[in-house]
Amino acid sequence: MPTYEKILLKNMERPGYTGSLTDYGHAGGYSALEKVLKAMSPQDVIETIKKSGLRGRGGAGFPTGVKWSFIPKDHPGPKYLCCNADESEPGTFKDRQLIENDPHAILEGIAIACFAIGAQTAYIYIRGEFFSGAKILNEAIAEAYRAGFLGKNILASGFSLDIYLHRGAGAYICGEETALLESIEGKRGKPRSKPPFPATHGLYQRPTVVNNVETMMNVPHIINRGSEWFAAIGAGKSTGTRIFSVSGPVKRPGNYEVPLGITFREMIYEHAGGMRSDKQLKAIIPGGASAAFFTPDQLDVKMDFESVAAAGSMLGSGGVTVMDEDTCMVWAAMNLLEFFHHESCGKCTPCREGSAWLLQILQRIEAGEGRLDDLHALESLSHKIEGMTVCAFGDAEVAPILSTIKHFRAEYEAHIEERRCPFRSNVVLAMAH
Amino acid sequence: MDGMIKLTFNGQEIEVKKGTLLIEAAKVAGAELPHFCYHPKLKYDANCRMCIVEIAKIPKLQTACSTVAAEGMVVRSDIPRVQEAQNGVMAFILGNHPLDCPECDQGGECQLQDFAHRHSPTVGNFGEEKRVFEKEYFGPLIEKEMNRCVSCLRCVRYCDEVIDSNALGSIDRGSITEIGGFSHHPLDCEFCGGCIQICPVGALTSRASMYDYRTWQVKKTNTICTYCGDGCQLSLETIDDNVIRVSSELGIGRNEGDLCARGFFGYDFVNHKERLIRPQVLQKGRRMEVTWEWALNKAAVELKAIKEKYGPEAIGGIISSHCTNEEIYLFQKLMREVIGTPHVDSGARYGYINAARALSSVFGTTRLARYEDIVNADLILSFAGDMAETNPICAIKIKEAVRKKGARLIAIDSYNSGRDTYKSHLPHIAHRHLEVKMGTEGWVILGLLKVLDQKTSCGPLPSFETIERESGIGEAALREVAGLYAGAQRGVLILGRAITRNQNGYQNVLNLADLAIAAGQVGKDGAGILALAEENNELGAVEMGGVSEYLPGLIPAKAGGKTLVEMIDAAERGEIKALYIIGENPVRSLPQKKVKEAFQNLHLLICQELFLTETAELSDIVFSAVSFAEKDGRYTNQEGEIQKVRKAIEPVGGSKPDWMIFSLLADKLGSPFHYKNTDEIWKEVVLNMPPSWPALSKGAIASSVTSYMKRERKIIIPSDDSPPLQGGVRGGHLFDFQVGQSLYHSGKLSTYASGLNTIISKEAVFIHPDDAEPLGLVEGEIVNISLPVGAIQAPVAFSKRISRGTLFFPEHFSLEIKKGLPLTIDPSTHVPYGDRGVVTLSKISVAVSTKNLTIS
Repeated sequence: MPTYEKILLKNMERPGYTGSLTDYGHAGGYSALEKVLKAMSPQDVIETIKKSGLRGRGGAGFPTGVKWSFIPKDHPGPKYLCCNADESEPGTFKDRQLIENDPHAILEGIAIACFAIGAQTAYIYIRGEFFSGAKILNEAIAEAYRAGFLGKNILASGFSLDIYLHRGAGAYICGEETALLESIEGKRGKPRSKPPFPATHGLYQRPTVVNNVETMMNVPHIINRGSEWFAAIGAGKSTGTRIFSVSGPVKRPGNYEVPLGITFREMIYEHAGGMRSDKQLKAIIPGGASAAFFTPDQLDVKMDFESVAAAGSMLGSGGVTVMDEDTCMVWAAMNLLEFFHHESCGKCTPCREGSAWLLQILQRIEAGEGRLDDLHALESLSHKIEGMTVCAFGDAEVAPILSTIKHFRAEYEAHIEERRCPFRSNVVLAMAH
Repeated sequence: MDGMIKLTFNGQEIEVKKGTLLIEAAKVAGAELPHFCYHPKLKYDANCRMCIVEIAKIPKLQTACSTVAAEGMVVRSDIPRVQEAQNGVMAFILGNHPLDCPECDQGGECQLQDFAHRHSPTVGNFGEEKRVFEKEYFGPLIEKEMNRCVSCLRCVRYCDEVIDSNALGSIDRGSITEIGGFSHHPLDCEFCGGCIQICPVGALTSRASMYDYRTWQVKKTNTICTYCGDGCQLSLETIDDNVIRVSSELGIGRNEGDLCARGFFGYDFVNHKERLIRPQVLQKGRRMEVTWEWALNKAAVELKAIKEKYGPEAIGGIISSHCTNEEIYLFQKLMREVIGTPHVDSGARYGYINAARALSSVFGTTRLARYEDIVNADLILSFAGDMAETNPICAIKIKEAVRKKGARLIAIDSYNSGRDTYKSHLPHIAHRHLEVKMGTEGWVILGLLKVLDQKTSCGPLPSFETIERESGIGEAALREVAGLYAGAQRGVLILGRAITRNQNGYQNVLNLADLAIAAGQVGKDGAGILALAEENNELGAVEMGGVSEYLPGLIPAKAGGKTLVEMIDAAERGEIKALYIIGENPVRSLPQKKVKEAFQNLHLLICQELFLTETAELSDIVFSAVSFAEKDGRYTNQEGEIQKVRKAIEPVGGSKPDWMIFSLLADKLGSPFHYKNTDEIWKEVVLNMPPSWPALSKGAIASSVTSYMKRERKIIIPSDDSPPLQGGVRGGHLFDFQVGQSLYHSGKLSTYASGLNTIISKEAVFIHPDDAEPLGLVEGEIVNISLPVGAIQAPVAFSKRISRGTLFFPEHFSLEIKKGLPLTIDPSTHVPYGDRGVVTLSKISVAVSTKNLTIS
């Protein structure tokens, strides 16, 4: 099995590493912040991040340095940075591990980013269910204040920063950056119509950067080791490593940090140890629940932004969900739609009405009450949602439907023709039902 | 042209103003884009996705309501790609819609019907079970039918952005999102009806007219609301001479389509079953209905007899400022020219005359600020903390200025800045709120004047220490506020009933005029002064000569004309033998005056009324008059805007418009008027007005100010007019007490409107909850209020708007309470002030309630 240098998971895999400020300090923590404050200008930092090719790890993969450079420099009044720790994408559990095990690495990244964009206030918006993560982060923030890495005049540089932890209340949509901003402002978590974008009209209508936890954590390493070093890792425009959360019937599910660009085959069969009970692989969700399904013939697609997109899906949040031969694809699509229907915020018509309608059809098919025109209805309704919604949620909710119909049409047809789910006889899945 | 941009819409090159949204630009190209959530009054939300268009070079379709037109943009809405997308959204909206159009009150004026007609296939393809929301009772006025809702949130956004009431929210999430209050309670809001009007579908409709009409059956008549001085345009919707509903059209009228509870729900007094439908006379102590001929002859004969025996000055006339300009003009003509008496007065005497006289004596006009000036002001100095109650639409202009345009609001009043849930309150959104001790606004005005007018051209002013002792406002706050006002680009000063209807009113308005001059906030674009009028035509009443001191056109009348209170006094002394009262009810309005006793001295009392009021009950002759819905004419609102009142229905029963009754009476008195309609009267009015009327040029205002500044002026220092409380009550607590107006009523008339009565139909004394708590009061508990003279019992209601240490009592129900309050008369304008006093509040003793318990 190929092995790679770990960057983000390195500290926490040290024996006895607790994530405390002392431990983080011993591991060289906050040296990047010191370097930035003493020797670099905000513009230097932005250029370094731009050159490194670092791209957002939350889902969209937007170049981080470019995002920072959109923040107007001469803006009077406050600017903000919001760190998106609302990790809610089904099948994704990397940020949680980072938060719980190396919180200071995130804080250091945030501090550097704030220095670069000229923000003196940052919010970490953490998923409500991350009770221990919130506790750990709050303790880390308090430690950092005491040590002078946060607060007024950090390391006598004249730069000041306050970080506030804001806990979500359980809505998936609040991971969408503009809904996240609404939520911090105390409003209902609903996405804003864009433009304007957060870079100019973000939190409280001020210039704002929203970055994912993993993105933030890469920043100190790039500062310490240079943009060339970072850019050399990975493949093409997908630089650096990425933590993939592998779940499903594999032998070793878990988080794996690998350079961008290894194949799905390597990830599933080498790192995750292959299929449990040596069953046949049937489908892969390559990048979180919002990504279109892959089939086994796509195992050699490379795990980088461009390759996955070219193959018709997206790298998304890095959640790789594996399904074996016993999994009913109609059930899988229905399961995902139940999630999306439950989480649709209800703001815009296609998503609000469409998610319920699609789910009703899928539930009928799965229950053996499908009609011949249902497949056409699923496809045409999905196309009425795609690209028509306020945020990317609409595209996300139709991806599992369109891709399962594309790859597994016969399975849908079998449900309709046999008037039952062909997988119902399977004991294991009957339990799952 | 400057500020214009060119774009191509559906192949047509169009030119629009910079900043125009594509959905508006489409109209220029003759295309109406389908939409639900977009509304020009609201910030865009882009949630319905119906107005989607294709913009060249942008891969995804864009919502036209959220996209600003840009130079060179190429936009298409007429291509299959766009139309398929719109049809798709429509399919989603119709999927769960109940399609219950036959029984939906919105049918015929429903945007969903209209756009579905254009954007949906004739056969639905929704084959699933429809979503059904549980029916929720939303209160007696508003019907909520969530199955029809398209979740556009226009109601929620209107309630927040325009009204600042925040009574509505979107509850739950996703496909079960619904509109409601946060804990599923019946609505308890301002009941402006805006949510009903802005709802594009039948999700929110009026229960007051539920199932009473189909929209295409109603006749709509645009007219002006009769309730307050704001001068709102509304449409009376009628079927067979019954007013069924009120509506208003977006952007139309001085109110631009916004209405308040009174305007929207206050209409059904018009067809009230207690309306007087025939003249009545009192014959040997018995009240009987008679013919017009009989009543008019009797009136003429008796008036002539009194005039012959006692001279014309034994006759007086009082007219309501709810009447039209034509009617007030004609009334004073009847009194002054036909009968020959100088004793003419109107409802403007209750306070507005203070503003009209003071402002016109300084500036030559009262027309000093318009609503546009409020909306565009950068600073608003308001002496009307209750404006959201008394003049709700003018308050909307302030909310727009403050919340949308970033104006600063300085509020000076005796209200608390706290607000009640779901009700807006201007002191709450003020940037600076000076909460003064009740009745001491006059001291604050002097304080501000002292800061700005160093030369004290008005004579010596009291010291800052005195001002602070009287009003509670210190020098620093006065300096700050005066500085903000004088430093504003466009400062608008607003004064309400706290100034005009309370002690020292005339002098206080003069002092405010001095203040505005010292601050440089008159005579420049966008700055000015607006005096709020409580009744719809108070300014008109003054301008038409409906007050003793002015002939039409603010031309000074010969001295000797008696004012309202003087006429009552003269009746008591037996000097006035006959009174002709149009729509006024002094028996009720001035309980302190023993009006009833005075009127019993009269030889003749003639009343012209809609209902048998307390005054009408005493009258020898009652002429049955009509409401605003049944007549033509003109009202002049508080800005000075003269607006057409249009007849919506035929007079109820055998009632007649006031102007017609005056004409008939003039005939009988031997001096016929010969007017065929109100337009003929108006022509004569216009000819009688000075050439500069209605608007005065900036130059004329400036020269008026110059000559005013040369005149010798003397500031009258306010004095505390509330007499000391006699004795006090053991165990009671002292409060400053104010009788005033509630949002949901206007005088007595509105208490005949069943819609408004479902909101408030009984008296209550309002107290701040923090004052109530230490007294152990619970809401609804009956308390004892000891007045300077006598005492009353009333239930308490809590409101965070009430200033600590004060009590508020709405004036619309029992007015027994006013009998116990001191009455003072303004030395200059003879305005009667009787709404304030010091009282003690005490719990009704435990012994009494225990006894009651034992009995029950």
